[in-house]
Amino acid sequence: MPDKTVELYTDGDMEKMKGRVKGWVTALFLLGAAALAVCVTLAALTNTLNAAKMELACVLVSTLAGWLVIYFAVFKVIATGRELRHAEMLRTEERERLEGTVTVTRERFRIRKSVPVRRVEIRATDGEPRKILVCESRAKALEEADPGVLYAVHGYAAAYEVTK
Amino acid sequence: MRVLKNIFSQLHSFVLWALASALLWGWIFTFVTDTSIEKKVTVYCYVPEIRDTELAAKLEEDMPEGLRMIKVHSFEYVMMGMDAMQQGDIFIIPASTVERYKELLNPELGSVRVYDAAAGEGAAQEYITYGDEDYYLFYGVESAHIEDGKAKAVAELLMGL
Repeated sequence: MPDKTVELYTDGDMEKMKGRVKGWVTALFLLGAAALAVCVTLAALTNTLNAAKMELACVLVSTLAGWLVIYFAVFKVIATGRELRHAEMLRTEERERLEGTVTVTRERFRIRKSVPVRRVEIRATDGEPRKILVCESRAKALEEADPGVLYAVHGYAAAYEVTK
Repeated sequence: MRVLKNIFSQLHSFVLWALASALLWGWIFTFVTDTSIEKKVTVYCYVPEIRDTELAAKLEEDMPEGLRMIKVHSFEYVMMGMDAMQQGDIFIIPASTVERYKELLNPELGSVRVYDAAAGEGAAQEYITYGDEDYYLFYGVESAHIEDGKAKAVAELLMGL
């Protein structure tokens, strides 16, 4: 690859994402453990008079903690994990070189069980315009770079060259 | 806005978790708030109104050694499963129902009048609202606490309230 090729996902990005996943998993594990500890303590402090209140408190604590775990597991851990696998695919698999005027469109969508993406148009001076996708988190960087060459893997933008 | 959208996309998970959480802790607390027959005395009251939790807590303040808890239930509590009442230790019932529930009652130990309708006076009136007739305390025919005297001790505590 020419030196002026810029990867959309660098080694640093990959390490950051791995670290983020680990951090979130640890945090969520600690949150779950803390909620469980609180509930076990409440159960141990239960007596005849306060049993109904303690049971309600346990339900509320475990429900709220569970909601937080579900939310962050889905939208941080799983989402980052998907982006990590997507990035690994972009960095390791065979690339297609596309030359032309690159436009990152506003068209956003999410492929089920995959990363959120935006559509990218590459208009060569001769030939039909090509459409590929770019991961939403990398769309702004690509837009600002305004590259003349894109490298794509399975229809996803993986790297670019600035030729202007 | 995005947070709200995310929440709605996972609403089914949140609802399922809330239900599971309520069921799980409900189940766990049936064990937390109960114990074996040997460690508890159960009182069943066939009365119009009863503050069962408060009465149980009051009786537990001076309960005999060896007991972990005293349970107080109204008859409505067990209407779906009469088996649970078979092992009741103490029964407080109106005079008019003695014949109906005689299978549950220990005939040898007799009974004690706990509420005198004519005088309007009775035991534990702070916790029990009696009806318009006399009420009697009986011991359960299958009570596990006759021989060890604990059923009698709890009955005396109740009479003293």
